[in-house]
Amino acid sequence: MVICSFFNNCLAQKKFNDSIYLSEMVVTATRTNKSIGDIPVPIQVITKNYIQQTGSQKLIDILQQQTGLVLADNPLGQALQGYPNPFGSGIQLQGLDPAYTLILLDGEPLTGRNAGILNLGRVAIGNIKQIEIIKGPTASLYGNDALAGVINIITEKPKFNNTSIQLHHATNGTLGITGTAAIVNKKAAWQLFANRYSSDGYDLDKNIYGKTSDPYHNYSFAIKLNQDFNEHISLQSSARCFTQKQFNNYQIYTGQTPDVVSGTSSETDWSLNNQLRVKLNTQFKLIGRLYSTGYKNNSTVFLEKNNSLYDQSFLEQFLLKPEIQMEWGKKQNQLFIAGIGYNYETINASRYATSKQLNAGYFFAQKEWLPISKLNITAGLRADKNTYYKTQISPKLAIAYKPIEKLSFTGSIGTGFKAPDFRQQFLGFTNSLIGYTLLGANELNNGLIQLKQQGQIDPQIDITPYLTDHRLLAEKSVGINMGFRYKSKNSTFCGNVFRNDISNLIDRYNLPFSKINNQAIYSYVNINKVFTQGFDLSIRQNISKQIEINAGYQYLEAKDKQVLKNIKEQKIISRDPITYVSSIVTKAEYGGLFNRSKHSANLQLSYANVQHWLTASIRATYRGRFGYNDITGDNVLNDDREYINGFVLLNATIGLAVHKGLQFQLGMENILNHMDKVRMPNLSGRVYFINCNMNLSKLFSTIKNEKNNEKNNF
Amino acid sequence: MKKTIFNLAFVTISGILFLTACSKSEPSPIVTIITKTDSIKVNFSPVAPFTFFSFKNDALVANSDSATTKWDFGLRFTTFILNSHAYGPGNAAAILQNSIYANVTTAPDAGYAYDTTTIQKGIKDGSWYDYNPVTHGFTPKAGQTFIIRTADNFFVKMELLAVDYEPFVGPTPSRLIYRFRYTYQANGTKAF
Repeated sequence: MVICSFFNNCLAQKKFNDSIYLSEMVVTATRTNKSIGDIPVPIQVITKNYIQQTGSQKLIDILQQQTGLVLADNPLGQALQGYPNPFGSGIQLQGLDPAYTLILLDGEPLTGRNAGILNLGRVAIGNIKQIEIIKGPTASLYGNDALAGVINIITEKPKFNNTSIQLHHATNGTLGITGTAAIVNKKAAWQLFANRYSSDGYDLDKNIYGKTSDPYHNYSFAIKLNQDFNEHISLQSSARCFTQKQFNNYQIYTGQTPDVVSGTSSETDWSLNNQLRVKLNTQFKLIGRLYSTGYKNNSTVFLEKNNSLYDQSFLEQFLLKPEIQMEWGKKQNQLFIAGIGYNYETINASRYATSKQLNAGYFFAQKEWLPISKLNITAGLRADKNTYYKTQISPKLAIAYKPIEKLSFTGSIGTGFKAPDFRQQFLGFTNSLIGYTLLGANELNNGLIQLKQQGQIDPQIDITPYLTDHRLLAEKSVGINMGFRYKSKNSTFCGNVFRNDISNLIDRYNLPFSKINNQAIYSYVNINKVFTQGFDLSIRQNISKQIEINAGYQYLEAKDKQVLKNIKEQKIISRDPITYVSSIVTKAEYGGLFNRSKHSANLQLSYANVQHWLTASIRATYRGRFGYNDITGDNVLNDDREYINGFVLLNATIGLAVHKGLQFQLGMENILNHMDKVRMPNLSGRVYFINCNMNLSKLFSTIKNEKNNEKNNF
Repeated sequence: MKKTIFNLAFVTISGILFLTACSKSEPSPIVTIITKTDSIKVNFSPVAPFTFFSFKNDALVANSDSATTKWDFGLRFTTFILNSHAYGPGNAAAILQNSIYANVTTAPDAGYAYDTTTIQKGIKDGSWYDYNPVTHGFTPKAGQTFIIRTADNFFVKMELLAVDYEPFVGPTPSRLIYRFRYTYQANGTKAF
């Protein structure tokens, strides 16, 4: 849960200084700036120092080294025939799939999810100040998607002039170059950021044509301005863009002979984020926000033999989001905040019939009280009104009790929701190999009528009973979190127990009749109810001035309530795929939802030697065994052969500063070279890297100082 | 690019019990229950001709006999038909029961569904398997026992064990292999 803190910038400072911890301010939990010790909900913070110390260029790697954050495949797909899951992977929080965590950049949502997964590779990490992770439903402040929690990536707000360059080189032909520049004067702070990152990809199986992961390169640019007009008015304005191109080359079958296709997939996004803060008086503050973002991907592949188009798909999304928030209150911990905003969103994709538009208005309010000095109560409420599903009311209540300064107990209960995604509502797709049809809930009526007109549904079948309102409800959750946090000079110890009950989960179902080719018609319906529960523990301990240990553990249970009921009624029968012996599945055999590890843990050892300008860290992430796929014909995880065994990812980095402004880092990722090319082809094997971190301002200023010294000596 | 992974499945042939034609007067326990594990191959095509099967003979039946009562069920791609009403002159009908195969000891007295029309089938399309859109696998749901009355009014219990693709080269599989076991009661009663 915490935060080691060495770094380049503060090499000369005394390590593990109390003030570093005290100044740890977070914003995501309450939408106001607050010290981490006063937050009544589970929160984790990843600092810039930690990110720099790992030397890593990948946000996903940094996230999965945190307690309770697990890298998980999208449940819609799986690795197949030596290729990674086409839908990608993301962060699983408290046992909920990646689609259920809201991802914010400077407090505003990133769009462009592919089947629920946001490609975190879009977020360059060179200008991140800190990452805040809120666990548990946070819809009361953020609305849609904040069902499992929120990951808010906050970029740097520079305090002094600085220019730095980082060069990165790693296995698989990976190259990265990052430049940042900060220009700060009395009232304005500019931050410029540019990054290019490229990789040749990798190939885990030479017998399969093409690479497991194809080569790509991407560019990120960002500019941010913080301007204080006077004591009362300040502006934060930022613009960013990202563009990536990947070169695809693989084999397909279009007749009885194999053919090679090649082409590119591109991904582009941009955002403009403006925030005006006006302090009307000591008690009243207004914040106006205007956010807009766009996302686009396009994949086009051609047959190599005649250069004809083989396949093309695209997705375009746009979001415009104006919002006004007001803060009222004398003291920081007794604030009342309220806000109102609007989402105007459009989406267009190759698998949807037409471009879709989504409008949603929302309102939120939150009040904090201190009934007695040691007790803080925060209550919040948000209402979201949307075009396609009914109004969502999301309340939250959180309590923090601080008997002594070092110790706090927290408890919270809140709700979250996830709107049916565009795919579940609007998809219209017929599989060319098998011939089944998949229709989004809102497209079902049109789709059925069309299939009937085309003669694909037998004229004798009466479809009129199925031409009703199929609109989906939002998926909902109620989450309870209870925890504690103890912090002393040399250690932090915190823990949290959680339980999430999720209802209305959307799943695919069969219509009760088939097409004339005897294949099914599928659509989506709200049906499943699941729960996740468990606890996590984190500890940070300074062994000495140089050595710090961070360790974390999460215990997780995630189960389907209907499956539990069916097991109780002895309705679930499993069939051994080898012996064909059938047996009734017992409660003890039921392993819960697929893709969840009961046990996960992390351990980090950090060393910083101030005199020698030497830093080192070793980081281990353990993921306990988890369900992969059903092989016993019951759709339930109940057999040892359905699991992937637990494994450890071990990373290490050594940093050596040869000058105040020049540091080299050597690192190794996945030292144990853990690989599973069939089921987890997204693990590339061992990676070596080298970073050269140059702080041009310090390099330059030192040279000047040395010259001055020489002069003085004369 | 595609490396196809097939599940290896072992076909266990359970003991075949023969009815011995022994001496006329000597009363000996007559075993009338025949249990077999078998597999049939069908074309991977929704328009191919049906493949017909007879439980009594444990054999495929020629397509030319489709209008007779020689066959009990027909199979095409993932569609089962029964020898009754819409598809044949027989009296075949079926019940799909959620229970462990070994625990089914009697066929129910009533509740059998005919192929009333070509749409209203005794064994509903898509009712007996789960389709995995990623692997394109059709997995028979575990714990489902088909209780079938044959075209000539004998009783059978049957379980589908696996549906595999016959190894193939190219984009389209050519055949599906259905593995199943069944118990045929030759004395005309409903006891298995």
